[in-house]
Amino acid sequence: MTNEILRVENLVKNFGKLEVLRGVSTSIHKGEVVSIIGPSGGGKSTFLRCLNRLEEPTSGQIFFKGQDITDKKLDIARFRRQIGMVFQNFNVFPHLTVLENITLAPTLELKIPREEAEAEAMALLARVGLSDKAGEYPRKLSGGQKQRLSIVRALAMHPEVMLFDEPTSALDPEMVKEVLNVISGLAKSGMTIVIVTHEMGFARSISDRVLFICDGVIKEEGNPDTIFTCPHDPSTIRFLSMVL
Amino acid sequence: MAKMIKIWEKYYMVFLKGLGGTLWISAVVVALGTVLGMLVALMHMGKLKPLRALAEAYIEVLRGTPVLLQLYFFWIVLPKLVPFELSDTGCILVALIINASAYISEIIRAGIGAVDAGQWEAARSVGLSEKNVMTRIILPQAVKNILPALGNEFISTVKGTSLASVFFVGELMTSYKSVQSATFLALQSLTIVGIIYFLLNFVLSRLLRVLERRLMASD
Repeated sequence: MTNEILRVENLVKNFGKLEVLRGVSTSIHKGEVVSIIGPSGGGKSTFLRCLNRLEEPTSGQIFFKGQDITDKKLDIARFRRQIGMVFQNFNVFPHLTVLENITLAPTLELKIPREEAEAEAMALLARVGLSDKAGEYPRKLSGGQKQRLSIVRALAMHPEVMLFDEPTSALDPEMVKEVLNVISGLAKSGMTIVIVTHEMGFARSISDRVLFICDGVIKEEGNPDTIFTCPHDPSTIRFLSMVL
Repeated sequence: MAKMIKIWEKYYMVFLKGLGGTLWISAVVVALGTVLGMLVALMHMGKLKPLRALAEAYIEVLRGTPVLLQLYFFWIVLPKLVPFELSDTGCILVALIINASAYISEIIRAGIGAVDAGQWEAARSVGLSEKNVMTRIILPQAVKNILPALGNEFISTVKGTSLASVFFVGELMTSYKSVQSATFLALQSLTIVGIIYFLLNFVLSRLLRVLERRLMASD
């Protein structure tokens, strides 16, 4: 299919003797919003982190727009520029201002002129309600603000797909919503999204498809209403009965 | 006490010249030791196994043998290795730089290791090249961990240079030897030199503390 952004084939990841992913295959299409749910230690985050090779897959292949990016000789940085990522712990750059956090990669790696990059960064900050923080250092931001910053830092590279790794798990409860709002705004604007989350209600409302990953494999996948109302796999049923 | 003052009045130029020697040797050793230490640290942390093993052996040997032994070693070996005339000072300088580089490389490695792993991941996730990950994200944060320890290294280098007096290289401890042999007043000239060393390091450590506080403030 031409609008396939990511295709994963038989992905395996071992940490020493521990088999974390035991053969995962799926495709992500342009404009699709895919949520990954499942119990802790089931391999959700590892799967997501393999997609831009922050974790090196043990075996299997990952195709980004048809190109196999598991090839070791590849300059992976070139592909990471097209795959945005947001982390649980924000990982904003503490030694750079909010504005510099956003403009660093575009100016260095995409050679976008400084003024242009800054103008775009300001527009992005306005979109997430952080315009007045442009000159601040991240230590002055709340958790929710840091996470919104990390989202626009990724967006500034104009990625084809955004990966979210439990973006609200480290947030105080009152800040969860402001971050989820930004993510659903992105989803509505047509961004391709893969999100690992424990926010079941959110997963159900924004996803086109839900993957249930457990014991290193996709146990079940399908549209959110089906998964949440009549799951088939016993492990999915058990997991959902515990979290819902 | 009276004798000490007399010695100072007569020989202060010798002591000050020695102090000058100690200062420039220390500065050169820390500066070049940092450059070399950086290279060793990069080799040590790099992906290439042979280079990593080489760096490890280098650090272990230099940390596992006495400095004085290393000074003798380079003093004997270096003049035979280089095609040009090399002074004793040159040999000792090289030996001190190499010795300091082993310790400094470990300081740098530890400083880089203390940067949160999430910073590497975030820097890579936005597509920075490995060089930019290091120079734009990791090193600027590691410097805060490295500078205080590097200051301590500077102080121990200042003290370490006294070993160069064994080879009569122009520095403070050599000044003591000169004055002592001219006056036969060992204790008094030793005390003078001791006071100078102490004052020098006292001032240095105070300066470092100010610098450290500055760094903390920007955190």
